[in-house]
Amino acid sequence: MKRQVPLVLCFLFGVVMCFTQFSPHSFSQSIYDEVVYWALIMSPFALAVGTITLIQTHVIRIRRRTEHWQYSFVVFAGLLTMVAIGLPFGPQHPAFAWLFNNVQVPLDATMFSLLAFLIASAAFRAFRARTFEASLLLISAMIVLIGNVPVGDLIWNTVLSWLPWDNGASEARQWILGNPNLSARRGIILGVSLGVISQAIRLILGIERSYIGGGD
Amino acid sequence: MEIFGIWIAAFLTLCIYSFLYKDNPFYRFAEHLFVGMSVGYGIVLSVHQGFIPFAWEPFWAAVKPFWPGVPREAGWSGLWKLIPIGVGLLFFSGVSPRHTWLIRYPTAILIGFGAGLSIPNVLRANIFEQTRGTVEPFASVHAGTLSGWGIFEAVLMVAGVICTLTYFFFSVEHRGPLKWISKVGIAFLMIGFGSAFGNTVMGRVALLIQRVDFLINDWIGTIF
Repeated sequence: MKRQVPLVLCFLFGVVMCFTQFSPHSFSQSIYDEVVYWALIMSPFALAVGTITLIQTHVIRIRRRTEHWQYSFVVFAGLLTMVAIGLPFGPQHPAFAWLFNNVQVPLDATMFSLLAFLIASAAFRAFRARTFEASLLLISAMIVLIGNVPVGDLIWNTVLSWLPWDNGASEARQWILGNPNLSARRGIILGVSLGVISQAIRLILGIERSYIGGGD
Repeated sequence: MEIFGIWIAAFLTLCIYSFLYKDNPFYRFAEHLFVGMSVGYGIVLSVHQGFIPFAWEPFWAAVKPFWPGVPREAGWSGLWKLIPIGVGLLFFSGVSPRHTWLIRYPTAILIGFGAGLSIPNVLRANIFEQTRGTVEPFASVHAGTLSGWGIFEAVLMVAGVICTLTYFFFSVEHRGPLKWISKVGIAFLMIGFGSAFGNTVMGRVALLIQRVDFLINDWIGTIF
C-alpha cells in the first residue's frame, strides 16, 4: 500500500500518457485532456506544500534564534502583504500592481543585474588563457560580447577598414552562434535528451524509485 | 503615489547594490523582502490562476447539486473532478509525520505523468528535430544549391555534433582516435560555453544599464 501503489500509479500514468501521444484517436485524446487537467488541478497543491516548508524553515530560524533570524520577519512581512492584498482582491487590484511594479520588479531586476559584477569577477579568474580550451572560451566570449554592441562594428569598420567585410564583429558573432555554438548545443541537447528518455523509462518501470523515499 | 513608488524602488535598488561593498543589513533586508514578496506573488497567482479555475470551480460545480435548495440538474458527472482535488490534498499529508507516506501518491502520479509525456515529446522535439536540422543542409548539397562555404558549414555542424556526443560517450575508454575526436568535441563545447557566457553577460549588463538609467533619470529626476 505504501510503496507498491505509488509505483503502480506512476507506471499507469506514465504508460497512458506515453501512448496517448502516439494515438490520434478521439478516446486517446480525451484521456490525454483529462489527465492534463488532473495535473493542472494537483500542481497548485504542490506549491502550497513548498510555501508551508518555507514558513516552517523561517519559524524554526526565529525559534532557535539562528544568525540573522530577525530577517525572517521581513520574509513574513513581504509574503503576508502580497497575500493579504492579492488573495481577496486578485492580482489585478491597483495596490497589488503597485507593490509588484515598485517593489518586486526593481528587486528582481537589481538582483539579476548584480550578477553582471559577479560574472565579471568570475570571468577574470576563469578566462586566463592558460590552455588551448580556455583560450577558445575566452575568444568566443569576447567575439560574442563585442559583436553584441554597436561599438564592436564601429571599431571593426574604423580599425579594420582595409578588410573586405563590413560590420565584421556582428557577422563573426552571428557565425559563431549559428555554427560551432549551435553544433555544441545540439550535441548537448541530444545527449541530455537520451538521458531524459532513459530516466523516464526507469521511472515508469519502477527501476528508479528514489522519489518514494526511504522507510516502508 | 507614483513618486513615493519611485523612491521605494530606488531605496531597494541601492540596498541591493550595497552588497558590492560588502554584506550588510540593508542588503539582507532587501534580499529577504524579495524572497517573501516573490513567494506571496506566486501564491496569489497560483490561487487565482490555478486553484480557483482548476480546483475550486470544478469542486463547487460538483457539490452544488447536493447543496440544499439548489436544483439537481447538473447530475453526478461533476464528482469525477473531486478525485484529482482529493489526490492533490494528499500533498498536505507531509505536515503530519505519521501520514507523510501519503504524499507518495500525488508525487507518483505527477512523476508518471511527466515521465510518460516526456518520452514522445523529447523524442520528437529534441532528437528527431535536432538531427533533422543537423543533416538537412546536405539535401541542398545533393541538389547542388549550396555554395562551397555552405558545404563547409554543413560539414562543420555534423562534425561538431558527432565530436560533442563522442565526448559524452563514456561506455568506451577515450584512447587512440576516440581521444582526438573527443578533444575536438571539447573545443566545440568551449566555443559553445564562451558564447553562452557572452550572451549571459550581455543580458545582465542590459539589466544593469536599465537600473542605472532608472536611478539617474527617474529617481534623481524627482529631486531636480
